[in-house]
Amino acid sequence: MMLSRVLSNLFSRPATRPFPKTSREPVEGYRGAVEFSQEECVFCGACALRCPANAIEVDRPAKTLKFDLFKCIHCACCAEACKRGCVQLRSAYHPPVYQKPEFEFSGAPVLAAEASPATE
Amino acid sequence: MARRTTIPFGPQHPVLPEPIQLKLTLDNETVVEAIPHIGYVHRGVEKAGERMDFGQNVFLVERICGICSFIHALCYCQGIEKLMDVEVPPRARYLRVIWSELHRMQSHHLWLGLLADAFGYESLFMQFWRNRERLMDIFERTAGSRVIISTCAIGGVRRDISPENLQYILDELVVIQKTLDDAVDVVLNDRTIRARTVGKGVLTAKQALELGAVGPVLRGSGVAVDARTEGFAAYGELGIEPVTEEAGDSYARTKVRARECYQSLDLVRRAIERLPDGDIAVRPRGRPDGRTVSRVEQPRGELFYFMGADGSARLDRLRIRTPTFANVPPLVAMLPGCEMADVPVITLSIDPCISCTER
Repeated sequence: MMLSRVLSNLFSRPATRPFPKTSREPVEGYRGAVEFSQEECVFCGACALRCPANAIEVDRPAKTLKFDLFKCIHCACCAEACKRGCVQLRSAYHPPVYQKPEFEFSGAPVLAAEASPATE
Repeated sequence: MARRTTIPFGPQHPVLPEPIQLKLTLDNETVVEAIPHIGYVHRGVEKAGERMDFGQNVFLVERICGICSFIHALCYCQGIEKLMDVEVPPRARYLRVIWSELHRMQSHHLWLGLLADAFGYESLFMQFWRNRERLMDIFERTAGSRVIISTCAIGGVRRDISPENLQYILDELVVIQKTLDDAVDVVLNDRTIRARTVGKGVLTAKQALELGAVGPVLRGSGVAVDARTEGFAAYGELGIEPVTEEAGDSYARTKVRARECYQSLDLVRRAIERLPDGDIAVRPRGRPDGRTVSRVEQPRGELFYFMGADGSARLDRLRIRTPTFANVPPLVAMLPGCEMADVPVITLSIDPCISCTER
């Protein structure tokens, strides 16, 4: 067994991937980056109520939603709770960062690209 | 009389993935006494469980242990389902078995790799962990996450496994079994590993029962006790025979875990074969009221939950006894009489999970 293992290790490609040169295809259904679609949001607070990590804060009268990415555990409870489908977990990873900005939006629609913490 | 020395083993030691300290009293090279000290990674999970919603607790208890996260959630959900009289659909019960057994397999792979690493068998360690990587990929594809899979919920499971993914699991299991055959053959038959495990850290069946050992530690001493035989989830329909070895030494415990990998392979295949159609969850109504206990078999042994609820959204008591907690007294009984050089391997042979123990 040992000799065959030595030979196969010598002549086969490494089991690991040379990241970041080749990155892995994201798996369908992976609970990755959390995205809010603020145009659709009615600030009902269902996501905040279900969130086990208290990562989402919704102020219904003021029509604001705050999302703290450091608290998020990527359980997808918010996506399940949202009846309008405003919260979604994409299969991409959150890129590594030094600081995760608190994502916040209010009733007046702003450009999603400006506020979204989840970038490719 | 020979001079006695006290040596601290841990909390940081190459063989220990997590912090536990054993104060060893040595008579020359022989261990006379071992006193364990825990308390380095206490997180207050039980108290946190009384402050969160009973539905949200599923995600909390999963985080007690990263290696058997699904089984913690399963134990908790079964307890709450008992309190709320929820009948889990058959498909959900089978899916629970599939994920539980995959978790058991990856935990045993991890442990067998660590054992190889403890002997300095780097390549063997890599073989086991490379194989384990395939299991992690199965979790990622079927559950959406690699470690904390969060698929168990009160009333069933949160995700279904598609027919393509079931076929993918079966295909992967063929490769996993082949690699496992080669690697387990080395672990069980290598001269050096046998010399360092056979007859080391012996625990007799009587001692194991008296000290309350659980899981592979108990079954390695020849006692056929396995919580899965109680038939929770779909284990009752699938049928299960506990894996036992008679010797009670480190080698017997290794062999039990290696054989359990094959048992899990078999259980996953049979569960996929018999997987019924239908719903994957029922919506629980109301709130839990009353007191109950829940037991399941983790890779390390029996996991025990006690929960008390008063009809509100929060539990008024959540008590968790993890298998390593039960296996520390048997470890202390195994150590006296052994050589100092054997202490790391004997400690590893109970598969210590300290974050579980301290919760």
